[in-house]
Amino acid sequence: MLRRTFLSMAPAAAVVPQAAGVPAQAGRAKVIDAHCHLEHRGNPAWIELDRALINTADKLGIDQMCCSIVPKTRPTTLEGARQNNEWVLDSMHRYPGRILGYCFVNPGYYRESLEDVKRCVEEHGFVGIKVYNDYRATEPVFYPLVELTIKLRVPILFHAGHTNWLPAPGQPRISDGGHIAELARRYPESMLICGHIAGGGDWEWTAKSLRGVPNAYLDTSGSNIDQGTVELATRIMGADRLLFGCDMLISASVGRLRSAEISNEDRRKILGGNMQRILSRRNG
Amino acid sequence: MIDVNCYLGHFAFRQLRNNTADGLLRLMDKKGIDRAVVSSAASITYRNTHSGNEEVAAEIKNHRDRFIPFGVLNPGYAGWKDDLKICREEFGMKGLRLYPYWHQYRLTDRSCVQMVHAAAEQGMVISIPMRVEDRRQRSLLVDVPDVEPDEIAGLIKAAPKAQFIVMSGSGFSGSSLGRKDNGLPANYSIEICLLTQDLQNELGKLVQNLGEDRIVFGTGMPFHYPDPAFVKLELLDAPESVKAKIRHGNAARLLGLA
Repeated sequence: MLRRTFLSMAPAAAVVPQAAGVPAQAGRAKVIDAHCHLEHRGNPAWIELDRALINTADKLGIDQMCCSIVPKTRPTTLEGARQNNEWVLDSMHRYPGRILGYCFVNPGYYRESLEDVKRCVEEHGFVGIKVYNDYRATEPVFYPLVELTIKLRVPILFHAGHTNWLPAPGQPRISDGGHIAELARRYPESMLICGHIAGGGDWEWTAKSLRGVPNAYLDTSGSNIDQGTVELATRIMGADRLLFGCDMLISASVGRLRSAEISNEDRRKILGGNMQRILSRRNG
Repeated sequence: MIDVNCYLGHFAFRQLRNNTADGLLRLMDKKGIDRAVVSSAASITYRNTHSGNEEVAAEIKNHRDRFIPFGVLNPGYAGWKDDLKICREEFGMKGLRLYPYWHQYRLTDRSCVQMVHAAAEQGMVISIPMRVEDRRQRSLLVDVPDVEPDEIAGLIKAAPKAQFIVMSGSGFSGSSLGRKDNGLPANYSIEICLLTQDLQNELGKLVQNLGEDRIVFGTGMPFHYPDPAFVKLELLDAPESVKAKIRHGNAARLLGLA
């Protein structure tokens, strides 16, 4: 498999033992995309696009991608979520070890969503839960779901964003960093990931809203390539709570981490060390 | 390597780092960028944009070998003809950047077309940043949408003798600007920093549709991180000769550089 170094263009690449393609057992840290999606299979080109995702990951040295498929309809239907989870499971088999699955649920389907989470995690090895904007993180409908993930020792990744005009157009119940921080404080044993700092509006607000909440994480994905994003989040939240992600915006998200002026140790944590620590809790 | 999309100075709604000549040169050196086209970030929100042009001219005075200055003018503001003359003759600016929605005009307004003609007659290149900030993080005060591709196409048609660089845009495959045989004159190039559809090969399709001579490298520094543009080139499945044109040759030709 042809691999390149994730940090090949980064100034400090030579001193970072992260050459992708070097087997993990040789001692280098994995690069894990903590926020990824597979193509919805309603698109006839899904096989080619999923293959393109793997090929691009190969070129850039991304070892594993934590994936869900976002249903096309809002609010998320039970059937839509279940169908997409089956597709994700199929892709986990197509690309073993490369695609890790997030179980997508709408927590409004209380009993069914809990059953789906248990089945996906315990029987099929999904590594976490993905939720969209069907409910805000502060709504009580999330409590049983969070309690189950604490028992299963898996994280929840929230589609999230904060705009300076509220409610966000078209997404009245989107969670922001403040909502996720509040839920994380209520459940300090949980692991909650705020999605896409660079794809959810005011990133300075988002990083500040998550300050001082040790079990709330933030992924670095998104299309917005504002210089200083990763540095500010690292300064405010600490590197231990930042997770590399692409959300399919690969050149933007890889470039963001290559450019960020942070220490090599912090870069290593963000690129995979932190997510690996989260994933290891399930088996710990 | 030439970066056609850089800035100096402050921006009203967010702190910029590396926004002085020395700071930007440090980043350019780190990334192997030889020369950069720069304009004033402050002029985007100044009422009198020419004050920003003066600031840029002073800032780069000792670095003319590395920076290629562009002016920012508003065709609806008093004295733009005088300012254009100063930009070209005193400051040696090789082009203009237009911010129609920040400065409250349309690209196809008669005054704008007139200004573009006047600049083109002096050999100046016209660049149009489609976006300054991601609208989802807009300021509490103002909401400025991205420049409409159709409006850019209208100006391109209205000024076929001018040379344009369309910058900081994405989704070109869905607009006439990125399509082959689109009926537009071939007098515009597209800069790559905000192309987002990596898996759909957006950059490769632009090279196919517009030709390898009409794609130019740019980062958007210091608004943006530089590396996303480098990653796009890294992922582009094209011969090294094509990438060399994107990195340097096409911009050098447009800007009349050796």
